Amino acid sequence: MDHLAHVSNLRSSQSQTQISHLALDIGGSLIKLVYFCRYDDSCRDDGDELRSQNDSLCSKSDNNQPVLEGRLHFAKFETSKINDCLDFLRSMKLCLGVNSGSHDGTAPPSDKIFIKATGGGAYKFADLFKEKLGVSLDKEDEMECLVTGANFLLKAVHQEAFTYLDGQKEFVQIDPNDLYPYLLVNIGSGVSMIKVDGDGKFERVSGTSLGGGTFWGLGRLLTKCKNFDELLELSHQGNNRIVDMLVGDIYGGTDYAKIGLSSTTIASSFGKAISDSKELEDYQPEDVSRSLLRMISNNIGQISYLNALRFGLKRIFFAGFFIRGHAYTMDTISVAVNFWSKGEAKAMFLRHEGFLGALGAFMSYEKQCLDGLMVHKMQQKFPISASSAGDNIYCSLSSNSDENGSIECTVYGT
Amino acid sequence: MDHLPHVSNQRNSQPQTQISHLALDIGGSLIKLVYFCRCDYSCRDSDGDELRSQNDSLCSKSVNRQPVLEGRLHFAKFETSKINDCLDFLGSMELHLGGFHDCNAPLSDKMFIKATGGGAFKFADLFKEKLGLNLDKEDEMECLVTGANFLLKAVHQEAFTYLDGWKEFVQIDPNDLYPYLLVNIGSGVSMIKVDGDGKFERVSGTSLGGGTFWGLGRLSTNCKNFDELLELSHQGNNRVIDMLVGDIYGGTDYEKISYLNALRFGLKRILFAGFFIQGHAYTMDTISVAVNFWSKGEAKAMFLRHEGFLGALGAFMSYEKQCLDGLTVYKMQQKFPIGASSAGDKIYCSRNCNSDENGSIECTLYGT
Repeated sequence: MDHLAHVSNLRSSQSQTQISHLALDIGGSLIKLVYFCRYDDSCRDDGDELRSQNDSLCSKSDNNQPVLEGRLHFAKFETSKINDCLDFLRSMKLCLGVNSGSHDGTAPPSDKIFIKATGGGAYKFADLFKEKLGVSLDKEDEMECLVTGANFLLKAVHQEAFTYLDGQKEFVQIDPNDLYPYLLVNIGSGVSMIKVDGDGKFERVSGTSLGGGTFWGLGRLLTKCKNFDELLELSHQGNNRIVDMLVGDIYGGTDYAKIGLSSTTIASSFGKAISDSKELEDYQPEDVSRSLLRMISNNIGQISYLNALRFGLKRIFFAGFFIRGHAYTMDTISVAVNFWSKGEAKAMFLRHEGFLGALGAFMSYEKQCLDGLMVHKMQQKFPISASSAGDNIYCSLSSNSDENGSIECTVYGT
Repeated sequence: MDHLPHVSNQRNSQPQTQISHLALDIGGSLIKLVYFCRCDYSCRDSDGDELRSQNDSLCSKSVNRQPVLEGRLHFAKFETSKINDCLDFLGSMELHLGGFHDCNAPLSDKMFIKATGGGAFKFADLFKEKLGLNLDKEDEMECLVTGANFLLKAVHQEAFTYLDGWKEFVQIDPNDLYPYLLVNIGSGVSMIKVDGDGKFERVSGTSLGGGTFWGLGRLSTNCKNFDELLELSHQGNNRVIDMLVGDIYGGTDYEKISYLNALRFGLKRILFAGFFIQGHAYTMDTISVAVNFWSKGEAKAMFLRHEGFLGALGAFMSYEKQCLDGLTVYKMQQKFPIGASSAGDKIYCSRNCNSDENGSIECTLYGT
């Protein structure tokens, strides 16, 4: 049976059409996408090929629900280059088109297509999406999506969370029964700190405006780097002691042992730059970048720790695209949390760090249940029991995950 | 009676001579000085005779028959990178440094100045070499706390709150002073929980301090010095400065870390000190509003008029610990009465209405 057509028929018969394959998180600096592609199905293929593959790939679950097997893919664009994102989506319009029931691959009627979207951009660019793609953005709360996405990743994806200390990356398997409470620190353009107490139970307890946007913004002004990755890459070679004022610089080479500060502790970030013997051109951009990175990371680590302490939380998960698996960043944050908490609290990172919001938005489709899409465990490789976690959503991470960390999973239709 | 020679005679006969008129706090960015000048007496007179002749009219005797010097506490600062300016200034005060005794008396191995901050270690040799002065090092945190307690208890209209653009002086009941959180924003930031006289613990700090603002500001704006940078920020027409002030310096995270630490220890008062606030309205307002917000009105942010001189004041007051000639600073005017016994301190000052722009404080020094 042609399930895809079945699902799409369902869809076109409804007054609102949801695109379950795609969700967006449109932030201050980056647009994050999560989209589902069926196996051997390039999301850019034309309609006929898709349908012919359908029969072989579709199966039925135990409950006779239509089941689509495939992968969750991830992508990102700069918010300032939103047109690139729109072009990308346009090229995927077959997926959009098929779901709305037009078999000839033409665009469906505009007032019928919705995409789940979160982040500020879901408001800011709503008109643009309507105008350029004929798509309506179905807005979901940003904090809620972050938490939903985090809970999903932590419970359902194997080898998602890890610690990073002394250059060692160590995966942490979280017991779903022992997940809550924890502190989620999402480092985007800005930083949000959310206390998570359960499924859908959370409170944004703090934040800071010194986030990825600050690092990137100040870095761009001071180093002429063209993009965030370039700035990060530069920091590898930098020596922050050229720019930062250390305790030893103030105390003439000694520690301030009485208050537990070693001579190499940073007393004042960028404190050496007050010297008027040097201008900006006299500083190496890599040193500036490293100091910036250290400053932002240390500050986030400290405020995170103070909030974890305040609520008695032992686990702090750092998410958001600021980190990007960058060793120095993770090390700085880990060391800061470890130092301030005297080893009590643990800093952990997530492999799909930047996609929490988009994932959460993606999963909010099931709330609507107009056609009750759920993502279900596909492989038993890393068994996670459906009932114990109480979630409808499970995924296993295939060992052949591509560089975007796509996740094998199954989508149920009802 | 000519007290000056009396005291100076005492001094000459002692193995170590302390210069009570001066104390330093040598930080990463700024050198802060506190020095005592007697009334109607320019501290730069090179004519020793003039000093002695004024003595009789100005010196009086206290109830306990101690020699008493009346005058003012003055404040000054220099950039640490321009330490030679500071040395020149001190050099020009040579007479006053020898103020309690004969200006021809030998200086080198007898002259000590109380000093705190990292520079007390870093520049000890330089002071010896250029001025023949020994720096008697005092602990930085202790001096900050001593200076803060002194200002809060003894100086009228020292502490104030700042909300909605309104500056309101706070007179703290000396019996209700402790505990409080002292946040000193220097090159870097130290947060100290103060539980009593001499009872304190540095509980936190951050490297995002005044040095960060100054350093980043310099790199991104070509301002020549700190005052220029601040001036620019007052005008608020520079996008970079706005970003710096708003994001790094505008109290966004000071208030957060301060508040979180105040909360942690149940402290209701958070006292912000250090030179990098500088009466900057935007900063004080941001900090105050945020502390008020996060604490739901429970905690209060306060500022100090002599914000940058806590360490130097604390170092100045540590002279009385030594008591080689037991100098104490005593209340001079009863204008703003503060009972000597209740505060349990030997140190009181009243703030004269004619304070000069450096915020000098009228006070009296006792010699023993």
